[in-house]
Amino acid sequence: MTPKTLLSALAASTALVATPLLAQDCAEPIKVGVLHSLSGSMAISETTLRDVMLMLIEQQNAAGGLLGCQIEAVVVDPASDWPLFAELTRQLLTVDEVDVIFGAWTSVSRKSALPVLEELNGLMFYPVQYEGEESSRNVFYTGAAPNQQAIPAVDYFLEELGVESFALLGTDYVYPRTTNAILEAYLLSKGIAAEDIFVNYTPFGHSDWSTIVSDVVALGAGGKQVGVISTINGDANVGFYTELGAQGVSADDIPVVAFSVGEEELSGLDTGPLAGHLAAWNYFMSADTEINAEFVAAWKAFAGENRVTNDPMEAHYIGFNMWVNAVTAAGTTDVDAVREAMWGQEFPNLTGGTAVMGTNHHLSKPVLIGEIRADGQFDIISQTEEVPGDAWTDFLPESSVLTSDWQELGCGMYNTATSTCVQLTSNY
Amino acid sequence: MPFRTLMFRALALVALAIVALPGPARAQDALQPALQAFADDLASPSRRTIESVVITLIEQDHPNIGEFLRRYSAREVVQRPEDGLFFYAEDAGALVRLVDIDSGEAVAEVSSRDVTQIRTNSGVQRVIAAALVPLELNAPERERRMAALDAISRSPDASQIAPLAESVERETDASLKTRKERLLLLLQAQFAQDRAVQLSAIAALGGDTSIEARGVLNRLTATVTEVALALPEGANIARVLNVGTDLTEAAAYELLVSAALAEPAQTPAMLREVLAENIVDGRVGGVPVGRLSDPAARIEAYEALEAAGTVPPRAAPDEAAQAVAAHVFFDRYTLDDAEITAAAQAALDSTQQAIAAYQVADLVLDGLSLASIFFLAAIGLAITFGVMGVINMAHGEFIMMGAYTGYVVQLFIPDYTISLLVALPLAFLVTFGAGVAMERSVIRHLYKRPLETLLATFGISIALQQLAKNIFGTQARPLTAPDWLGGALQINDIVGISTIRVAIFVLALIFLALLLYILKRTRLGLEVRAVTQNPGMAASMGINPDRINMLTFGLGSGIAGIAGVAIGLYAQVTSEMGANYIVQSFMTVVVGGVGNVWGTLAGASLIGFLQKGIEWFNPSNTLAAQTYMVLFVILFIQFRPKGIVALRGRAAGD
Amino acid sequence: MAKTTLAPKKGFLSENPSVLRFLGLLTVFTLIVTALAEGFGAGVISTSFLKVLGMTLCLCLIAVAMDVVWGYCGILSLGHFAFFGLGGYGIGMWLMYARTEGIVRTSLANAPIPATEGEVRDAIASQIFSVVGSTELPFIWGFAHSLTLQLLLIVLVPGLLALVFGWLAFRSRVTGVYLSILTQAMTLALSLYLFQNDTGLRGNNGLSGLQNIPGLLHLPQSTIALWFFWASALALGLGYLLFAWLVSGKFGSVVRAIRDNENRVRFLGYHVESYKLVVFTATAIVSGIAGALYYPQAGIINPAEIAPITSIYLAVWVAIGGRGRLYGAVIGAATVSLLSSWFTGGGAPNIDLGFYRIVWTDWWLVLLGLGFVAVTLFFPKGIGGLFDYLVRKP
Repeated sequence: MTPKTLLSALAASTALVATPLLAQDCAEPIKVGVLHSLSGSMAISETTLRDVMLMLIEQQNAAGGLLGCQIEAVVVDPASDWPLFAELTRQLLTVDEVDVIFGAWTSVSRKSALPVLEELNGLMFYPVQYEGEESSRNVFYTGAAPNQQAIPAVDYFLEELGVESFALLGTDYVYPRTTNAILEAYLLSKGIAAEDIFVNYTPFGHSDWSTIVSDVVALGAGGKQVGVISTINGDANVGFYTELGAQGVSADDIPVVAFSVGEEELSGLDTGPLAGHLAAWNYFMSADTEINAEFVAAWKAFAGENRVTNDPMEAHYIGFNMWVNAVTAAGTTDVDAVREAMWGQEFPNLTGGTAVMGTNHHLSKPVLIGEIRADGQFDIISQTEEVPGDAWTDFLPESSVLTSDWQELGCGMYNTATSTCVQLTSNY
Repeated sequence: MPFRTLMFRALALVALAIVALPGPARAQDALQPALQAFADDLASPSRRTIESVVITLIEQDHPNIGEFLRRYSAREVVQRPEDGLFFYAEDAGALVRLVDIDSGEAVAEVSSRDVTQIRTNSGVQRVIAAALVPLELNAPERERRMAALDAISRSPDASQIAPLAESVERETDASLKTRKERLLLLLQAQFAQDRAVQLSAIAALGGDTSIEARGVLNRLTATVTEVALALPEGANIARVLNVGTDLTEAAAYELLVSAALAEPAQTPAMLREVLAENIVDGRVGGVPVGRLSDPAARIEAYEALEAAGTVPPRAAPDEAAQAVAAHVFFDRYTLDDAEITAAAQAALDSTQQAIAAYQVADLVLDGLSLASIFFLAAIGLAITFGVMGVINMAHGEFIMMGAYTGYVVQLFIPDYTISLLVALPLAFLVTFGAGVAMERSVIRHLYKRPLETLLATFGISIALQQLAKNIFGTQARPLTAPDWLGGALQINDIVGISTIRVAIFVLALIFLALLLYILKRTRLGLEVRAVTQNPGMAASMGINPDRINMLTFGLGSGIAGIAGVAIGLYAQVTSEMGANYIVQSFMTVVVGGVGNVWGTLAGASLIGFLQKGIEWFNPSNTLAAQTYMVLFVILFIQFRPKGIVALRGRAAGD
Repeated sequence: MAKTTLAPKKGFLSENPSVLRFLGLLTVFTLIVTALAEGFGAGVISTSFLKVLGMTLCLCLIAVAMDVVWGYCGILSLGHFAFFGLGGYGIGMWLMYARTEGIVRTSLANAPIPATEGEVRDAIASQIFSVVGSTELPFIWGFAHSLTLQLLLIVLVPGLLALVFGWLAFRSRVTGVYLSILTQAMTLALSLYLFQNDTGLRGNNGLSGLQNIPGLLHLPQSTIALWFFWASALALGLGYLLFAWLVSGKFGSVVRAIRDNENRVRFLGYHVESYKLVVFTATAIVSGIAGALYYPQAGIINPAEIAPITSIYLAVWVAIGGRGRLYGAVIGAATVSLLSSWFTGGGAPNIDLGFYRIVWTDWWLVLLGLGFVAVTLFFPKGIGGLFDYLVRKP
């Protein structure tokens, strides 16, 4: 946080009311909270999500609203300041009295909002790929869990590219840490020796990549095919890929698969040095389906011709539509009723197939692997069937015994070994 | 059709070379039916399955197979879902033009959604390239021969030796010929049938520090750790492992367990489970369940169960140690031929010292590069601090301003070389102007209150940073280096540095020389030094301190602008980039000693080398290196409060 | 003078009416807020705003400490937020540990065999650290099970750090700008250290869920927020009183003399280093306490909280409020942080210039930066100085 933004909770809400379409007999509009940073370091990624929410709400209102009411977006700005996420969540739920929140990007911000959501029994849709190991009663995770992004990408490395020596490079924060811990355990279980796994963490915005890239290249001296799994976040990627290019490392020699580099991050970058490297997501803008073409066209019409779509946007698209359908099915916006109606909700993916919301609050989605093209888009070179999201990974001993099932077990952290519910709240 | 016959001959050769299988090599009339036989594997290609398909197809020796595989590999092949036929796809505006594989005629134009594009991944591409090697090695185009050589180096195989050896003599291009000879050596070291050839090839790789060569040798000397009751006869043992020094007892026991030579040790969790299964009337082995929160009581309960015969006996405390002692642990070469592994090991050992020396050299290069970056970032600050006693918190924002100047220039001048040549002086001018403006409007009024300049310039810093955000957005902007700066200066596979860093180093040297010249040899420099040492006296000698202050500040800021362009070229341009360098720059100045070019150089070198050195000890944690570096600086200042090169003057304090 | 310091209660307050006035105002403010709060009174002030007010009081407290060390003793410390953060981490460790312990014990209570203490500890560790890919409890959590010990650490850790750091720095006669940079390096080193996962404080993720107080989980947040608001007000009042007393007597005179000319004081025979060390350490401890009260209200603490820039902002608050007068620091911290949130939160009306629309979220920092330059140039005594001028003129 920066102390200066401390009190943004004061009056941070701006209500955006869509034009009333029909005279309704509802007392007040249905309110949707949008909790994405519009300033600070995360604004670059999160502003887009605010925009896509406004577009989806506008579309829904144009289609007649929800339960005969208009939907009103309550947009707040947590300013990339983690404590502010908690404060604004409280404000949205108690002062603005929203029915649902769509928001958060980093795991820290989600963990900041979690206790408030669980205390006040709110409902949040979280749209970003994350490290798993969580299943809150009050959160629906529409982004990928590790088994929907990281594990398939590593499988692709092992199976298709024959990689035998792994460099796990990441920015030093929770998502890379947990993901790499899971991947290390997974690689060991696949017979990769511990000395063939090189792990490195760098700070946010790191720029001095020459030594690290040299270290990675030197791994090749072991006589094994080297591959890089990158959980490097944000700006630091620029220096990283530039250094790869400078040292003449091509994607054919040392492939890099990134979990945090998407269309939005590539737009406005010189993608020349990145071409041929890989990224794993559940959605790419280049997906060649009719429904995606419509979505992209609507987005460009709404936000501008040069804008791109990306994976978290699809997550919000699916999440919002599922919520709308669940509210319609439940006939109310009451959180408990909607939650129950959410289980088993189905909605078509933009990339084909159908997303299903599991009772562990995670989606089943296809896993896509794309190759970066010179134009900043991705060539989809692999697409799996829908994979159900797994809240608790099978590859760490502590969490392999845990499972989440809110419908049958009524518990998000259920120990199958002792048949007890560890806790009803989440770890934060 | 002379081309066809040529292809045919080449392919006949290929088929013989690759599979060396007797069989009816018969050209078919059309390729499509042959492809249809493998329709599923071709439609969803995987590295695991494609190899046999490709080999069989090449075996069938169809004249068009080479072209097909190349285009298939380049993702130009689509499948029509209705009939499963394969076509070449050509771009036709919004539609895709389907071209018949055999006739080469356009068949239809359809929407891209009506056909399935087959996207071969790079693993599949590698397999195809390797399969095509014998054919491509003698291809007329140099690029194709080059690609074939790359394919060999990426997927070496015994079958490549013969065609490669044959093609070496035919090669006309000198550099390709050298490369072919070298690859042949690498292949022979691994796969030669003739032991003498293999041994001589291995010997020839001795002293070679290249990654390729070491990769080959390391593959030959790969070992696995195993355990047995006694050393197996005839096994090619690399070394016997000593429990306690080479591996811990716990690790040794784990090996025993994984080799099924011992039972897994009972963990507390397992004990707990066994006890839970044996609860009878709230008691386990006579011990009340309530007492079992005590580990000793758990053992007592287990022993009671053991005595009753309900559970297997507990392992004796030293059972694990005994089991480990009864076995021998060793590293075994995966290759059984002791002569080969010994030769490879010898060849590998002969490079060890050279590698260590090169690694140090590489570290020194990295350290130099980092030091030159720190120097460029800090020297402007050092000048203003030394001459005026003013800490300029907005210095980092001048760096940012320089970088954004470079970015804006690139928007207008698309040629990267020219734009860089324009950007450097322009960045200097822009930041020089900004520096002078700031000095005139703010700092001039605060000379009596040096601590407050720190705060006032901080105010300017946050305003400038936010201004940059408002103008350029929060996203990182590219500042692309021209191609001639894009590569790396690669001395060998270990020692190398990117050209851009060399350029930054040269830039730092130029500025070092320039500043020394200005300070030591010009009138301005004389006056600056005079003001630094004693402003009052300087003023009474007719020097106008106001003018000197203004020019010095401008100069310091201008250099920051240049540093900004340099830093932007190798890293990213963001509104926060200045803030990332400011604290480091402060430390450089303070460690080096204020107001002295040499001091800054010393400070930058110390910090740069120190950081790289610590990183080398702990390569997996860059943050730790930075932390310890800052801690070192804190301690260093305690013992040399005036820095490495102490100077007397206004900034040196009372 | 000596008499005053010996009998501070009567003489000190009567000699410093501003202290009484401040304490009176603080009491009135606390009572009004309480009456309007959701948890107790009219419900005009929402719980989230109440937390904001409570946190502001904590920021005022550290600003007062900063004013003593800078405005009175002349040490421009750019590292006091390090102590604030350490206090936060201190209380945060206990809050996390105790809350997790509650969860773990409840879940293990259903197990067929009662858990050993070792098993409970392992379960707690894996609960807390699974989010950063680890399952072991680092040794620095050795005291986290005990509130008393951890409260002791809140005082001891910042105090010891300040003592050692100050002793080293003052002994080597590092002064002025050098000292500022050194303190900045200290907070940078600490934040880099905490950013590391190996440190055992969950790296970038920090400690979260701190608003849930173990043992009080049945109480609504509106009540807990009110309690913390009262505690913050009490801490601010006591801290203000302590520092006002410290700077008023003979001790204060020496300290101010050090600010004005350190060497002369030294030549007069005072042991300057000891005075500086006492001021530095005392303010560090108070900063730690302020942090320990702040973070349970914020709910989460992570290393970004103690990045160098936050400490510079602290100096900015004090400078704007007015150095060398304690109420100035309070005015500065409260004004700037409340204004900041009003602007960045979209509360301020955007101005449409026709050709350009000034969106305050984007332009507030520019305004703050330039305003700050203006204050430094034209009102070196800050808002507090303006206040004095207005009060004394008639």
